[in-house]
Amino acid sequence: MLRKREKPISCCFVDTVKRCLNRSHCNNLIAPLSKRGQTGRIKICKVTGDRATCGRIAAMGVYPGIEADIICSGEGSRCILRVNGGTVSLDADVSQNILVTNL
Amino acid sequence: MQLKMALAGNPNAGKTTLFNQLTGARQHVGNYPGITVDHKEGHLHYQDQKIIITDLPGTYSMTAYSAEELVARDYLVYNRPQVVINIVDASNLERNLYLTCQLLELGAPLVVALNMVDVAKARGIEINATVLAKHLQVPVVPIIARSGFGKDELLRVALQVASTHQQWNPLNISYGDDLDSTLPELIEIITAESLLTDTYHARYTAIKYLENDEQIQAKGRETAPKTAQLLEQLVDESTEHTRRTLDVYPEAIIADHRYGYIKSLLRQGVITRKFDADRLYTSDKIDKILTNRLIGPVLMLAILFALYQFTFSWSEAPVAWLSNAFNWLGNLVEEKLPDGILKSLVISGIIDGVGGVLGFIPLIMFMFFGIAILEDSGYLARVAFMMDRIFRIFGLHGSSVMPFIVSGGIAGGCAVPGVMATRTLRSPKERMATLLTVPFMNCGAKLPVLALLIGTFFGENKAKYMFFFTMLAWIVAMLAAKLLRSTVLRGDPTPFVMELPPYRFPTIRGLCIHTWERTYQYVKKAGTVILGISILLWAMMTFPALPEQVSISFDQKRQAALDTAAPETIGEQKTKNESSSEQVKAFDKTIALINNEEAEAALRHSIAGKIGTSMESVSLLAGFDWRTDIALIGGFAAKEVIVSTLGTAYSMGQVDAEDSQSLSDRLKQDSNWNRVVAVAALVFIMFYSPCFVTLVCIAKEASWKWAAFSMTFNTIFAYILAVAVFQIGTFFNLG
Repeated sequence: MLRKREKPISCCFVDTVKRCLNRSHCNNLIAPLSKRGQTGRIKICKVTGDRATCGRIAAMGVYPGIEADIICSGEGSRCILRVNGGTVSLDADVSQNILVTNL
Repeated sequence: MQLKMALAGNPNAGKTTLFNQLTGARQHVGNYPGITVDHKEGHLHYQDQKIIITDLPGTYSMTAYSAEELVARDYLVYNRPQVVINIVDASNLERNLYLTCQLLELGAPLVVALNMVDVAKARGIEINATVLAKHLQVPVVPIIARSGFGKDELLRVALQVASTHQQWNPLNISYGDDLDSTLPELIEIITAESLLTDTYHARYTAIKYLENDEQIQAKGRETAPKTAQLLEQLVDESTEHTRRTLDVYPEAIIADHRYGYIKSLLRQGVITRKFDADRLYTSDKIDKILTNRLIGPVLMLAILFALYQFTFSWSEAPVAWLSNAFNWLGNLVEEKLPDGILKSLVISGIIDGVGGVLGFIPLIMFMFFGIAILEDSGYLARVAFMMDRIFRIFGLHGSSVMPFIVSGGIAGGCAVPGVMATRTLRSPKERMATLLTVPFMNCGAKLPVLALLIGTFFGENKAKYMFFFTMLAWIVAMLAAKLLRSTVLRGDPTPFVMELPPYRFPTIRGLCIHTWERTYQYVKKAGTVILGISILLWAMMTFPALPEQVSISFDQKRQAALDTAAPETIGEQKTKNESSSEQVKAFDKTIALINNEEAEAALRHSIAGKIGTSMESVSLLAGFDWRTDIALIGGFAAKEVIVSTLGTAYSMGQVDAEDSQSLSDRLKQDSNWNRVVAVAALVFIMFYSPCFVTLVCIAKEASWKWAAFSMTFNTIFAYILAVAVFQIGTFFNLG
């Protein structure tokens, strides 16, 4: 499981600086959903963490390969996803374990 | 013969609304996932057929991830209803058909009720029910559960399916090469060993093993340990393989294939969209503002404060009218009935007791109406989402919000359904922490006490103080939860995952039903339990009567007063009018003081008085006199009784029957009460032992040990707080 303060795996230095200024979000690179910090369309690349949680969110339509819209997102915080016609809210720990990329 | 019919579907798909439409019941419906935790039964006659309809809790899947899923699946497999009506939200078809898929895999005889076709149409979604039925190979009936449209057709089709007595035939979906190669091996072992085959099809059990379903695995281990071990070994190998090659668990592959199956169905002419399928709806746009991490919490506090403002400003006049009505009734009985026990029972036991509770009906109704608007609109689910961050700090879960709100988080709920609503929490420790702290919320029973004391001592800013005490309840509950989670209930937090229902305009009918059902419960309780307890407490406050000698001594005092008064004063006193002389007024005061002294002596001599007096040495540290003690003891039975008992205790000491005062006025004039005592009393009442019914419920949900803990811990905790408030307030002379 990824730790909360762990460095995002694919953010470049510019992204890190911009994120400090709250202006960037690892564009087009794979990063945890919790680090996105902006709304928009994304693709889920990987889901890690507790198996039961992975299974539960998969049943709600959140699993690798699926495309979704971020409705609400805060840096390192919870977020709301629109996926498969439904609106799913996830806490910071769960969204930390969902790796996404921009579309 | 009775026909068994079950209603299954996603949370918020409209199951309970349909259940109410079909059975004429008034089960609580809300735009919030997890309203129905247990299954509920209703009866119906249709075409001379007696039908038992069961409303199952809303679930996203048939895998044991939560209590609702377990309840729903266990009901279906153990009760084997002749037909299962799967309610599907037409405006969110893709997500809803995921459960349909699993019901078909279970093999249940299904009828799909395509609900909210009107909402779908408004969103530009047209669904061809005939094509969908052809592909799913089960009947599909478009309905609008809110209005009742299509319910007759649905019942007709459901009866038709039930009459065929078809076997439970499972649907087989391909799950890709990796899993499809493992499944036959698992099925072969399950069939050979007849593992759980009396309950589930072998393929279904195999799929659940791959999905890591804890309940099925536990049952397997219990039934045939060796077979279960073999199956788990095969599943582990398959999991290892999918993890190594695809970096996913089998359940993600299964979900992907189920959604794939659904998408392929929908693409075959089932669904026509006027707009882009991926566009954001108004609901999503509203969410962007209302759940914004900065603006969202500010708006939430503003909305909740507006609710209080609305409740207190609009209910003020009707509450005053009712209070006057009960005063008038009291005066009428005072005039008509002869002095004696019966008169005392009617006035002090019934009118002051029950009237004290019923007088707050307008306030309760307005509060419930406001809560119904928040719930039906879908905003409460957003509150849960926003509160999760705060709850987490205190060791609770976002899903704890609903039990807290149901219990009176927005003043006016009830701890009993709140305690039951904790079933939706997965983690036993988070559940226990929630279960033990929800009684701290300001339930509907505490509301009259809050309204009475706030109205009496802080009348100028009622809404603000009410809001303050609601916030205080939350803060104290959170701190108590943190204390419990750091000591006796230590453990890791569980993740918060919740589907947010779309925003909907509440219907007037829905709001009225919600307001009425909760208000009715309140009135019913006042007319039954509270009436009974009020009479019992009245009896405890009346008997045993003063010893004859003491009564005689008071009679002698009155006689002495009469003897010392001038004859013209007595004559004038008999024909009393507004311009009575000073001597008459002084004479009246003397008689009133003697009567008051006698009433107080009688109350002190009663059973309740003796109990209250014996506790006074301890309770005085918190500022409570013996009469308040009596009311607080009554509160152990039901919190509503506090107001009614105060009413009875203080009306017994009332000396001038011709000028009947409200309890509020009596407290204001009483030397034992002031602002500091009121706050100390409020703090104590808010946090001391839950009422008896809640304790029974805690015992049922947890154990009697936890119920006893709740009673003891809360009472000691509340007493310490009340003493601190009173002593500090008195020291700074804030009263």
